[in-house]
Amino acid sequence: MHEFLAHFIQIDVGIALQVILLGFIGGVLSGFIGSGGAFFMTPGMMNLGVEGVVAVASNIAHKFGKAMVGSRKHGEAGNVDKRLAVSVLLTAILGIQLAVWINSFLFKGGSGHGAAQGAGANLYISLVFVFILLAVALSMLRDVLRPSGEGEAGAGPSRKIADFLARLNLPPMIHFKVADTKVSVWILLPVGVATGYLAGTIGVGGFIGVPSMIYVFGVPTAVAAGTELYLAMFMGAYGALSYAFQGFVDIRLTMLMYLGSLLGIYLGVYGVKVVNEKYIRLTTSVIILLCVISRGIAIPMYLRQLGFISIDPDWDKYFNLTSKFFLFASGITGTLLILYQVIRAHRQRSGLHKTLRVVKQASYPA
Amino acid sequence: MPIVLISSSPHSVGQELAQQLERKTGWPLFSRKQLAEQAHDQGIKLSRLETSIVKSPVLPEKLAREKELYLAFVTAKLYENAVEGNLIYFGRSGHLLLPGVSHRLRVGLAAPRQIRVENVVRELNLSPEKAAEYIDRLDADIEKWIHYVHRQEAKDPGQYDIFFNLQNMSLANASMLLCETAALPDFRQTPLSTKRLEDLYLAARAKLRLAEDEHTRSLDLGVRAVGGVVTVTYMPRQEEAAQSISHVLQDLEGCRENLCTMAETTILWIQEAFDPKAESFKQIIQLAQRWGAAVELLRLMPYKSDAPESPTVSPEQHQSRSPKPTEHVYTGGVEDDESEAPVDDGGLARTQEELVAIGRSAGGFTVYGGTGEVVEAVRENSHYSLVILGDLFLDKGPETRKRQTREMGLTIRERLKASVITVAELESRFLFGKKQALKAVLYAAAVVCLYVLVFHFQEPILNFLGGEIHAKWKWLASITVTLLVPLVAYTYGTVAGLVLKLIDID
Repeated sequence: MHEFLAHFIQIDVGIALQVILLGFIGGVLSGFIGSGGAFFMTPGMMNLGVEGVVAVASNIAHKFGKAMVGSRKHGEAGNVDKRLAVSVLLTAILGIQLAVWINSFLFKGGSGHGAAQGAGANLYISLVFVFILLAVALSMLRDVLRPSGEGEAGAGPSRKIADFLARLNLPPMIHFKVADTKVSVWILLPVGVATGYLAGTIGVGGFIGVPSMIYVFGVPTAVAAGTELYLAMFMGAYGALSYAFQGFVDIRLTMLMYLGSLLGIYLGVYGVKVVNEKYIRLTTSVIILLCVISRGIAIPMYLRQLGFISIDPDWDKYFNLTSKFFLFASGITGTLLILYQVIRAHRQRSGLHKTLRVVKQASYPA
Repeated sequence: MPIVLISSSPHSVGQELAQQLERKTGWPLFSRKQLAEQAHDQGIKLSRLETSIVKSPVLPEKLAREKELYLAFVTAKLYENAVEGNLIYFGRSGHLLLPGVSHRLRVGLAAPRQIRVENVVRELNLSPEKAAEYIDRLDADIEKWIHYVHRQEAKDPGQYDIFFNLQNMSLANASMLLCETAALPDFRQTPLSTKRLEDLYLAARAKLRLAEDEHTRSLDLGVRAVGGVVTVTYMPRQEEAAQSISHVLQDLEGCRENLCTMAETTILWIQEAFDPKAESFKQIIQLAQRWGAAVELLRLMPYKSDAPESPTVSPEQHQSRSPKPTEHVYTGGVEDDESEAPVDDGGLARTQEELVAIGRSAGGFTVYGGTGEVVEAVRENSHYSLVILGDLFLDKGPETRKRQTREMGLTIRERLKASVITVAELESRFLFGKKQALKAVLYAAAVVCLYVLVFHFQEPILNFLGGEIHAKWKWLASITVTLLVPLVAYTYGTVAGLVLKLIDID
């Protein structure tokens, strides 16, 4: 086998089907949650033996094409603030560049422990993944489990942070017409860098981009989602370009993921239209939590490979297997629950065509 | 005579203008202050709504309902306070109330900033600097209010029938001019404008009643009234609670018929004449069934000299506000309620009948005029997922018809923030026909070629992406990936979308 194939896996029919399945599940979750499916697909590919950096690179390339298709639809609905997207993008490029640099450095053995190539990058990606997504899942669960009467007036997104920052009025301020908000460049900069960094590190920039736009900038939810997708298109393009330049994009994985994901996205988006919102958020947070557990289980394996802890190397397969089990169990269960709801709602839709007419005798004043 | 709706910047002299007009005409004066007090007594949390709108650009679901409730309350109060159809209302964004009622006179008023600052200094005992700051903040808050409650831009001059700038004009002269304007025939009450007002009043009372009842207050409803027929659309997930809708509305005064349609969304279909046997009707029904949508019909007729708005209504004719139908046969809610010979309604009633029969009706009505009148007529109920423009401007030539339809589409899209298409585009955009089948086959063939190519030549391709060739041609490899990926996504995405469209999932 050629040396260059070392960081690209051999793809047989079994692996191909698993990648398609990963794409499908990621797509369904992505369409349903509206914030990318990389949190499932990236670790899923790592569980199949794909190097972390190749998984991230192939996924970011996948995200690029997906976002391009999706943002066109959002654009037609008027949900894209291009000025905001371009502003975040300019700062996000710094973040992506930082992420690509760190990942490449760690992949090439930059951790300095003489460990197997890729273990440093794998550990780093897994740790970032666990911390960020744990925070997202827990805050989402807290929202879902909050009694319905609590904070009646604030049932929508909280404006506390956005109001506080608006009061600071740090010039220069930029007015975003579609999003109908003014944001200081000094606030925009760190948010953009963080979004780009996460997109470049674990391929889930949307997890910080969308909440930031809503809570920090005060952008309406639909515009935040549309703008993020528009932004993701450029970030994905830049990330794909950068990783491809480094030689980490496995186009085969990207194409296999598309086979499942684009179909899944349509079904997920359809699910959002027909499934109760609380159910959507509960399903999403549980799925993300299980993904976090799955990735957490794999961490000792990377720590051992880097020489930080001493465990029998034979245990790697158990860690890998358990991690894989949790990941697939969460993804498959979540997807089945979503598909069940989608099919049920679809059948109901075709069955429920109701117009109830009540004609009354006049009850008019004399 | 008209309903005069005066809107002015805070702490200017809008109230004085309204009072002067009241003295000259003897018409009742109703202010926003009185309205706010009555809303408070009714349990509508106006201050919470105001605070929330000022603080957040996104209205939470509950507050969005509160907004609808407030607008319904305002409409009902304006109607009830009008004596013989006459009323002077003074308040923020007053000119945006009672959309589509042609006998309202929308008045704007601007006073010099200095006068406003002086008024604030005197009324609130603030320093001139603080007063100026206060006025700026207040103006910004009102802009937000107009933006989020009425979905309009505050500075659009097209919203007013007359605008006074008191920079060089005295209040007395402005009031005299306003009095003369109000007497113009353009603002006289007509049977059509009376009917529109009564429809708004009935819909407002229906909304208020549904909001009061514990079984229906938490539902997301679309309510419209036309000629005594109240049409309510509700979400499928609220099916159980929605059974109470008819019960709640059963003894609503003026409501002779109630239609309740379960729908996830509403499609607005605008056309000059409808035919339930036409191909376009079948296509729209197919789309409505797929989306779980209700279809609202809007028959758009051009202004004509014999249009029903021409004759004015005398006070005697207008004493009874509630329509009194003499027969109770369903008419589609579009004809006059008086017993009359059948009128040509352009197939509206028949088409609506058909929609009711298949459970997809969201009501129907006729509008005389152009784009502005259409927007006004649907503004208060404008949560449409799609607006379909059918055959319009039939008295014009094909080119003019096409241009005017396109212009109307652009305006509606901008004003209602909804997707707008023509009937001709319906099949290619949302349905699966022969053209779509052909497209699916061609794109699927392209997808197969791309995949076969990549997986058949895996080794050289991987070499190009990460091997020795890559080392020499890094930029070329990057650009190839960046071009290939969206190509695959677009072609395969099109195939996947078309296949799902074929099985009615989109």
